Amino acid sequence: MNKLILILAIFGTIITAGAQKTISGQVLEKDTNTPLLGVSVLVKGSMTGTTTDFDGNYTLADLSTDAIIEFSYIGYTTQEFTIGDQTTINVFLEINAEQMDEVVVTALNIQRDKESLGYSISQVSSEEVNVARENNVMNSLSGKVSGLQITQSNTGVDGSSRVLLRGITTINGNNRPLVVVDGIPISNGSGGAGASGGIDRGDALSDINPDDVETISVLKGAGAAAAYGSLGMNGVILITTKSGTKKAGVGISLNSSFSFSDVALTPDFQNEYGAGAFGDFAPINADGRPVLDYPFSWSWGPKMEGQTYTNWLGQQDNYTPNSKRNPYKEFYQTGFTMSNTLAFEGRNDKGSFRLSITDEDGQGIVSNNTLTKQTFSLRGSSNLTDRFSIDGKMTYITSKVSNRPQLAEGSGNTALQLSLMPRDIRLDDVRNNTVNANGEEIKWNLDNTFNNPYWALENAGNVDEKDHFQGFISANWEIDDKFNITAKSGMDYIINDYTSYGATGAQAIQNGLGSYNHDGDQSSIWNSDILGTYSTDLSDFNITLSLGANYRNEYSNYKNISGNDAKVPNFYRISNYKNSFSSEGISEKAIYSYYALGQFGYRGFLYLDATIRNDNSSALPQANNSYWYHSENMSLLFTKLLGINSNILSQGKLRGSFAKVGNDTSPYRTQAVYSVDQTVTLPYTVASISESLPSFDLRPETSESWEIGADLGFLKNRIQLDVTYYKTNTTDQIMAVPISGTTAYSSKVINAGEIENKGIEAQLNLIPFDSENFSWDLGFNFTKSNSKVITLNEGLESISLGSLWTASVEARPGQEFGTIYGNDFLRDNFGRKIIGNDGLAKRGDRVALGNINPDWYGGFTNKIRYKNFTLSSLISAQVGGEYYSYGRGYRLFFGTDERSLVGRENGLVEEGINEFTGFENDNETSALLKQFTDIFSNEIATDIILDATNVKLREVALTFDFPKTMLRDTFIQSASLSAVGRNLLFLYNAAGDIDPEATYSSGPASTAFEHSSLPSTRSYGVNLKINF
Amino acid sequence: MQTIYNSMRKTVVVAVVGMLLLSCEGHLEDLYDNPNAVTSIDDSALFTKSVRSLFQATTDNGSAHFAGMHAHYYVAGSTWRAPDQYGDGHDGDYNSILNDGYSGTIRHIEEVLELTSSANTQNNIRNALANIIAVLAYAKVTDAFGDVPYTEGGKGKSQDILLPKYDTQESIYKDMIVRLTNSIAILKTADPAMAYPNSDPIYNNDLGKWVRFANSVRLRLAMRMRYADPSASQSTVAKCLSEPLMETPGHDAFMIETEGTGNAWFNRRTGFPSIKMSTLLIDQLQGTNDPRLAVFVSKDGTGQYSGIVNGLTDQAFGNSNFANLSDMGLALSSPESKLYIMTAAETWLLRAEAALAYDNDPATANILYRKGIEASLNQWEVDAAEITSFMASPTATLAGVNDEEQIGVQMWLSLTPNFFEGWSHIRRTGYPIIPVRTSEDLSKGVTNGIMPSRFNYSSFEQGANSSNVQEAISRQGANKIDTPVWWDKN
Repeated sequence: MNKLILILAIFGTIITAGAQKTISGQVLEKDTNTPLLGVSVLVKGSMTGTTTDFDGNYTLADLSTDAIIEFSYIGYTTQEFTIGDQTTINVFLEINAEQMDEVVVTALNIQRDKESLGYSISQVSSEEVNVARENNVMNSLSGKVSGLQITQSNTGVDGSSRVLLRGITTINGNNRPLVVVDGIPISNGSGGAGASGGIDRGDALSDINPDDVETISVLKGAGAAAAYGSLGMNGVILITTKSGTKKAGVGISLNSSFSFSDVALTPDFQNEYGAGAFGDFAPINADGRPVLDYPFSWSWGPKMEGQTYTNWLGQQDNYTPNSKRNPYKEFYQTGFTMSNTLAFEGRNDKGSFRLSITDEDGQGIVSNNTLTKQTFSLRGSSNLTDRFSIDGKMTYITSKVSNRPQLAEGSGNTALQLSLMPRDIRLDDVRNNTVNANGEEIKWNLDNTFNNPYWALENAGNVDEKDHFQGFISANWEIDDKFNITAKSGMDYIINDYTSYGATGAQAIQNGLGSYNHDGDQSSIWNSDILGTYSTDLSDFNITLSLGANYRNEYSNYKNISGNDAKVPNFYRISNYKNSFSSEGISEKAIYSYYALGQFGYRGFLYLDATIRNDNSSALPQANNSYWYHSENMSLLFTKLLGINSNILSQGKLRGSFAKVGNDTSPYRTQAVYSVDQTVTLPYTVASISESLPSFDLRPETSESWEIGADLGFLKNRIQLDVTYYKTNTTDQIMAVPISGTTAYSSKVINAGEIENKGIEAQLNLIPFDSENFSWDLGFNFTKSNSKVITLNEGLESISLGSLWTASVEARPGQEFGTIYGNDFLRDNFGRKIIGNDGLAKRGDRVALGNINPDWYGGFTNKIRYKNFTLSSLISAQVGGEYYSYGRGYRLFFGTDERSLVGRENGLVEEGINEFTGFENDNETSALLKQFTDIFSNEIATDIILDATNVKLREVALTFDFPKTMLRDTFIQSASLSAVGRNLLFLYNAAGDIDPEATYSSGPASTAFEHSSLPSTRSYGVNLKINF
Repeated sequence: MQTIYNSMRKTVVVAVVGMLLLSCEGHLEDLYDNPNAVTSIDDSALFTKSVRSLFQATTDNGSAHFAGMHAHYYVAGSTWRAPDQYGDGHDGDYNSILNDGYSGTIRHIEEVLELTSSANTQNNIRNALANIIAVLAYAKVTDAFGDVPYTEGGKGKSQDILLPKYDTQESIYKDMIVRLTNSIAILKTADPAMAYPNSDPIYNNDLGKWVRFANSVRLRLAMRMRYADPSASQSTVAKCLSEPLMETPGHDAFMIETEGTGNAWFNRRTGFPSIKMSTLLIDQLQGTNDPRLAVFVSKDGTGQYSGIVNGLTDQAFGNSNFANLSDMGLALSSPESKLYIMTAAETWLLRAEAALAYDNDPATANILYRKGIEASLNQWEVDAAEITSFMASPTATLAGVNDEEQIGVQMWLSLTPNFFEGWSHIRRTGYPIIPVRTSEDLSKGVTNGIMPSRFNYSSFEQGANSSNVQEAISRQGANKIDTPVWWDKN
């Protein structure tokens, strides 16, 4: 969502023509009378000028009386005045919030007039991320920016999020936009578990402290990002943190948030039938307990009517419906998040500083899943001389997350266990019966891949600790008025330490032997830039030329130790394990880049930008390791050109952009190597060859994109519309293509394939009312983005991007990227199911059953301010798109899902055609056999492909700004109190009882699959901001 | 002064940029090499890898999840039971079986073959050993699927063949016999110092045993061609009999997996999916007082040997009291249990069959048959007194009627726990007789209740290597699990 923030401004006074004279004065902000530092005071048509000092004062000498002085300051209306006979001119600059020429932060942190840009950019302010605060700042952007698609996975506190900007452009890449904090690109991997289980260790983006954010710029498309090279291929999210340069003196600010989160959406359970199969109870074992093996551990037993039976513990019990109908609501608790930020900031004429401390605590809906995180940030800048300044920042984040939940098919996934638990079993009994006299886990299911959820809660856990440093130093040297050099070096350094353990006594964990695992890894990204800029005005042209070089180094290493077979129970150190294993690895890549940027402006209505860049990567073979790319952007303000100055069409701009971007790959993919296997007991050396064949002549991949768009303002910009159409073709993609296993290898790294990504984005902002006491802002954004696979490697029909059970999400030539394939029912020519004599449907071919891409998605923001109250809300919508829910599939054939009630008592007759007679099927089958055969035996995916269409009330915030009059006699300068709610409810959800965002990982194709996810949560709380 | 200052400034800038440029290329080269692996290695480490993979593959998905149940040795619990119902909804499994067939042994042995025949690292003794291992690995994939890539198979790296053509099983078998024959000839006179001292997990570089092993494998392959190409089979058998063969358990090709949690059957018995031995196996062993009953089968909770009937429908299985039945025997499923590729017992029984088939000599067949049984009992370290009494029982002597069946049943027992070979053996000979499933309680699957004959080419393989697979299907017959492979004429 665009917000009008910063603008060029003017002021002036007039002096009549005459002799050379000196003029001085003070520049203040209108209404507040705050002195403004750094206002440009320029004699028009010359290079003579100065800037205001700390107190807003300026002096200019040797002026002629007919000189025109221009006062300009970012965010304020520029004005100009002739000197005339005045000697003192005091200026009151006015903030201008209704002009279109908004100043935005662009690539390389260059602040630009938005009107001069040839590409689409959106900017989000700090209030939009730190009032309704999210642990992961990316989640706050969801629904607010066209083209940006955020999917927040349900993976416990501090989970990762899927972030896509303008859809998917590469098959193998992570497709995530580059995230740049204060000019330094930071690490941005996705996280999450696999289909077979695991945990989500979050992503580095969750370490960006929302309270330190000043603005977030979203640079869409490669044209906007060409200055970052291949890293910017998927767009760039530029985050500028607060730097303490806003106001003079010393200030203290406090931002406190507290919110609860509770379970918002759970599956619909049937509550009529308990454990058993085909309407019978399970046979009773010699030990007096029922044998709860498949299918008797499912909920296909007799109807629960209070009859006496032997329960799962072997006790005589009444077979009654569970009084607590929903085990999720009983098992999961209310979580909370608490965050406090205290910031000190200040500024004087020699420099500025900001020091902030944030403490964050949280607890998830799984009771032992907790987060504690502290962020310390120090930012300082100093003007060593008039022309030389330095700036630096150091942020240290330390966090500890305990017991990140097990996901998907993992034995410790509590949601999986709870959703499949026979419906007659009381959760209290499960809680009170976790371990038997021999120290072994007690569970209701003989399947050794399952855990008792309470046993898992107490006996299997993990601790994830992270120390994260981010920082930079930069120096800026204004050699003369036209020539300027900036050097900057910054890093993002992360140390992770992760331990996980499982106690002895559970078959699911190393056959009861217990396990221990300890990972340590470090990663660093160093970026150093030097950029020289020359700017000048030549009559009607203003020209800025920059030349720069960049060195980037990405390094990581890991060490792992793991063990099984514990000597002493409940002691988790490696020495306690009879079998132990270890491994380690290193990865390093360097890229040198040289680039040149040129910006040409003509009479304020035509702008042309061009970028050329050369990258040299260590990941590519030496013959091909240097590659070039370029971008060209154009912006035409046709209202200025044509002199249109109407109240109806206030501003109009057409823009166009083209970019060609190259990309390298991850290191070590172009060399054939042997790894030496780690062996503990073998007396000989064992070496092995990787399953992926390297490519010895890999070339960089290329992405060509163009976009055109218009920014229109109507009725004095009370109505603003931005529309963009874009298209990107990525060719020569570097990917590990799957190859026939009969080659003895599973994939080969090659250049192949082309993906075409195109779409339309639109953003509409309306200000129906705007007055002193009442204002109303509305924003709509809309994105339609499609990625189509044009070609793959010759002869290759498909690349699997992921699979769950028997559904897979694939890239196939001619198909939409991310099409979900699975077995359909066997059908006749009219689409009717073919049914066997046993009454069961037959399995048909593997066909496309859905696609992960929405038809469109968007957001609707509404902000109403009455006096000191502001009510804002955000509704996000996704229309179209499908996903495969194995979670529902499981619940169906385990008979716990409400939908499994159909045909329970009297059997059911499938709709379809008998395979032999050709007549309508009249053979009956049991509901159990139908569900089990369709979903499990026949692997038919059709019925569990769900529509992802949903409309969600994502955010509501009511803010009260304390009136200045109330604070006048206090030391408080401003204060506000907000009540906020996030992810409150679905206004519409096609799938009903499953959240379409509930994925178990955050990779590009992750939205294809849901598997027994943790229930979605909603959160509500309060936020207090005070400035002293 | 100002100009000097300006030009100095420019010089400094140019010099710094120039230095940056020069140092770059060197730095990029330094980072090019993968620090986590080596670019060259002695082929012995890859040979060991191949051999070990070959043994590990006797417990792989195709062997354990399919063949062991098709051959009616046992039934796995939980979701693993599905293949026992003769269905073909196992596309993912078929794909992993094909991939596993090539990725373990074949990937690494092809590299050994390449290295041992390349100029600088040439070694024809090592090459001869590697050929034996390669033959065993290819034999398994062709037995599983029928036609498979062979001449072009496994050569993704050495020859950059990404779309290997499929060879007929007949041509594969004939070439494998040639390769084994060549290896035997080389190894008979080879200097062990040139082989794999310290890297041979099977025979610790005893080339005499390797010759017996290779020749016995050749005999197995020759007998497998018995019904498909009797004359080639017979002439090859004759050659085998002229060279040393495996004769005592000391010649057996076995390995103990000591890494991790050891033998894979240990995990499967104690953890997932839990294994219960079949009624067919228990009835055979119990009915003949075979001392191997206690070896192959554990007693159930009540101290009895109780088996599970193969192929139960879901409903019948639910009522089968599965969890309480007899587990796999500890000798087969302990962490340190041996994994077998080929044994003396199998070799003797192959010879017994050959004596009947090609020499029409029941007397010799009986002697060989008894040696086979005795070798098997010794292999499992059965108590001497029990051996004596079992050898005296009618089971241990060919009755003169249904001799082929007697040999076939003993072969089935002696192949335990090499279940994949057990399935191939039943497919070829029809013994032991696996009854066609007719009962209501039994699942007929897609084969009308007849034991499946092969695995299907997966949909992935049909996509990734399309025209070659289609050619194989058109040659071999429909891509179905009841399409027999070339040597399967029964």
